[in-house]
Amino acid sequence: MAVAALPHDAHGEVDQLYLETRELRLQGFLLFLISDCVLFSSFIFAYLYMRNSGQGWPPPGIHRLDVAFAAWNSVVLFGSGATMHYALENFKHGHWMRYMWFLLATIVLGVGFLGGQGYEYTHLIYGEHVTWAGSGIFGASFFTLTGMHGFHVFIGVCYLTTLVLQSAAGVYTRGKYFGITAGTLYWHFVDVIWVVLFSIFYLI
Amino acid sequence: MNAAIVERLGAVTAGIVVAVVSFYSLYKDWHATGVENNVFKLMLFLLGVGAILALLAGLTVIGYAG
Repeated sequence: MAVAALPHDAHGEVDQLYLETRELRLQGFLLFLISDCVLFSSFIFAYLYMRNSGQGWPPPGIHRLDVAFAAWNSVVLFGSGATMHYALENFKHGHWMRYMWFLLATIVLGVGFLGGQGYEYTHLIYGEHVTWAGSGIFGASFFTLTGMHGFHVFIGVCYLTTLVLQSAAGVYTRGKYFGITAGTLYWHFVDVIWVVLFSIFYLI
Repeated sequence: MNAAIVERLGAVTAGIVVAVVSFYSLYKDWHATGVENNVFKLMLFLLGVGAILALLAGLTVIGYAG
């Protein structure tokens, strides 16, 4: 690796520890994402099994979910994935202001998605009287899976907000930015999980 | 205008934008190597697929049309 590409600390010295541990951190983070994938998969397959062993779906007395709103809310989240990708790309190329704007846009879209999910929950609970404990398998699986995903989005928003603060404080440099890479990976993961949840709850 | 129509229009418009951006980014990064970049490529592909699904749902091609 060329010396110019190596990460340097504030005094211009190569950060050896960062270089030695970066691959390990990446592998550790990917293992974390894979374990999270297993967690979601177990719930998703349990839901699909119960759904296919019942008498019709959704169960009698429960209306189908609002696809139009869910599609709109989904593209809000998917759009945040695109902005996060461009945030990382701009950071890599040294466009600091663009990086910050894209990062902030990602946070705003993430909060927008959570707001949309809150609106949908309110509509379901107070309008349709669908609850986690009182609507059988449908309510339990819907609120558990989307709630678990929403919690991940919330954690992601907190993570990205921390990235904004750390970036403003100059924690990351062009050669040393694993935190931003991990944030991007996590955010993409949250997007991909929603692709599956959107498909199984609203489309099939 | 009906709220559902506005939501569907938004889903279609934004779905096109996100799908184009995702697949263009994937195209640009196609020759990038390493674990990290390959994971990004996979996720960009799935993001594009998700955007297309939302777009088709907005057009009522798939999903419940009510």
